[in-house]
Amino acid sequence: MDLSVYEDYAETLEALDDEMRFEYLLDIAKKKRSEPFPEEAMDDAHLMHGCMSRVWILHDVADDRHYFCGHSDAAIVKGLVAMMTDSFSGLTTAELAQITLDHVRRLNLGALTTQRQVGMMAMLKHIQKLAGARPGIQAA
Amino acid sequence: MTAIPAIREIPARGRNTYDPAVVRADFPILSRTVYNKPLRFLDNGASAQKPQSVLDALQNSYASEYANVHRGAHFLSGAATEAYEGVREKAAGLLNAPGPDNIVFTKNVTESINLVACSWADAHLSAGDEIVITEMEHHANIVPWQLLRDRKGIVLKIAPVEDDGSFVLERFAALLTEGTKLVSVTHVSNVLGTAVPVAEVTRLAKDAGACVLIDGAQGVVHQPVDVQAIGCDFYAFTGHKLYGPTGVGILYGRTDRLAEMPPWQGGGDMIDTVSFEKTVYADPPMRFEAGTPPFVQAIGLGAAIDYVQALGMDAIGAHEHALCAHAMETLRDVPGVRPVGEAPDKAAIVSFVVDGLHSLDVGAILDRQGVAVRVGHHCAQPLMARMGIESTVRASMALYNTTEEIDALAAGIRHAQKLLG
Repeated sequence: MDLSVYEDYAETLEALDDEMRFEYLLDIAKKKRSEPFPEEAMDDAHLMHGCMSRVWILHDVADDRHYFCGHSDAAIVKGLVAMMTDSFSGLTTAELAQITLDHVRRLNLGALTTQRQVGMMAMLKHIQKLAGARPGIQAA
Repeated sequence: MTAIPAIREIPARGRNTYDPAVVRADFPILSRTVYNKPLRFLDNGASAQKPQSVLDALQNSYASEYANVHRGAHFLSGAATEAYEGVREKAAGLLNAPGPDNIVFTKNVTESINLVACSWADAHLSAGDEIVITEMEHHANIVPWQLLRDRKGIVLKIAPVEDDGSFVLERFAALLTEGTKLVSVTHVSNVLGTAVPVAEVTRLAKDAGACVLIDGAQGVVHQPVDVQAIGCDFYAFTGHKLYGPTGVGILYGRTDRLAEMPPWQGGGDMIDTVSFEKTVYADPPMRFEAGTPPFVQAIGLGAAIDYVQALGMDAIGAHEHALCAHAMETLRDVPGVRPVGEAPDKAAIVSFVVDGLHSLDVGAILDRQGVAVRVGHHCAQPLMARMGIESTVRASMALYNTTEEIDALAAGIRHAQKLLG
């Protein structure tokens, strides 16, 4: 499976020190300002529940591959959402099902608090659920 | 570190100034760093740090005096029981309650309020009776009454707060009717810092014939409390916000109220005699303490009470009041910072929002500077809705905080504005 975007993020994070990782995350959030999330999609239907900030995720399928984009009202979370949706877009259902919490941990690297690592894991489960890539759970 | 001017003599410690630098040395955790920066702990409203004397009491209890309380025919059980029961007297002293029998051990304020809801209120309230709370209650003083409403059909009435977070007595009084059976209010708002005039609230409630419960989670930590002077029926506080361990809280109950309350949990320790035909319950406070209690934690709480009383609640309150004034003044000087809760009578809890920034981002960047604050709705979602916001950043101060830490908070906010702007 093609995880080149994910690898780019992970390798960049690995090359940075703790403080720089944090600023890198904020930079990702700032860059995403040029790709505004559709206002009409900021509704309950696209809201991911259980976050300290509001997170919306859009899901689309083309040629049997899943594409995600997300948004949050908090910049740090927006950066995290962007890393996740960029990293795991373009995968098939079977490929998405193979993404594990270890993948998520590599994007975290201790730069962020445990609480946010839990949030990222919830995000992974959420996109897998949207794609019907979690055992026993069908896409809505 | 900026020294705080002398406030009053503290004879128990042989000092005549309140010096936070000296006080801080009692708290081992305050000397640690986070992200290679000094820890500036301003999240005391969630839970306060522990002085060495509390840590020593816990260690001593487990290492030297450990056995279950109330039931052993041996030395260690006697020692543990004596230490545990002694904390009832200490808690009674802290609140100026008539005696140790007015003190029920619970696990926290949440459990204390649920106890009153499930026991006193369940037994004495019926459909149509009214309970008055305020808009600034913690969920712990909302949800138990909603559960009761669903069980019994009582009516929940909400006293408003003003835009600046003030509590206006007249607006509260206007809600009182002959049907008001209970007034359950916070002593100090955990979000706004607003200090509710609980003695006046109690007087008005009593005139209306209502019982009064005060949520003292944020009250007892910032000022001296005298439950007899207030005149309330119940006063609840939790150990871990008062520099004690987690897992232990206190419910003060007036003697006649406790006597008229049925048990709410059954088990060991809360009985006089048990047969399959009939059980005779113990008198209060034991009637409300089924099962092995958190006695080690209670012993730790006893050490915490000793600690704050040695410093003096007046002295602690005066120090925190000065800190709060400094915080409000400092934050008002930061462009884009809007305080939430500016009531004239306010304890050392400062909530604010930063224009254009999410509280979570501000909190995360402050964290990187070593400044620990809480962000979110602070378990007070109805208050957030009332104030038209979703969350705040909250700096809640304790006896060991300094003006230098407040200045670090302000510098951290400016840094967040720069990073996220």
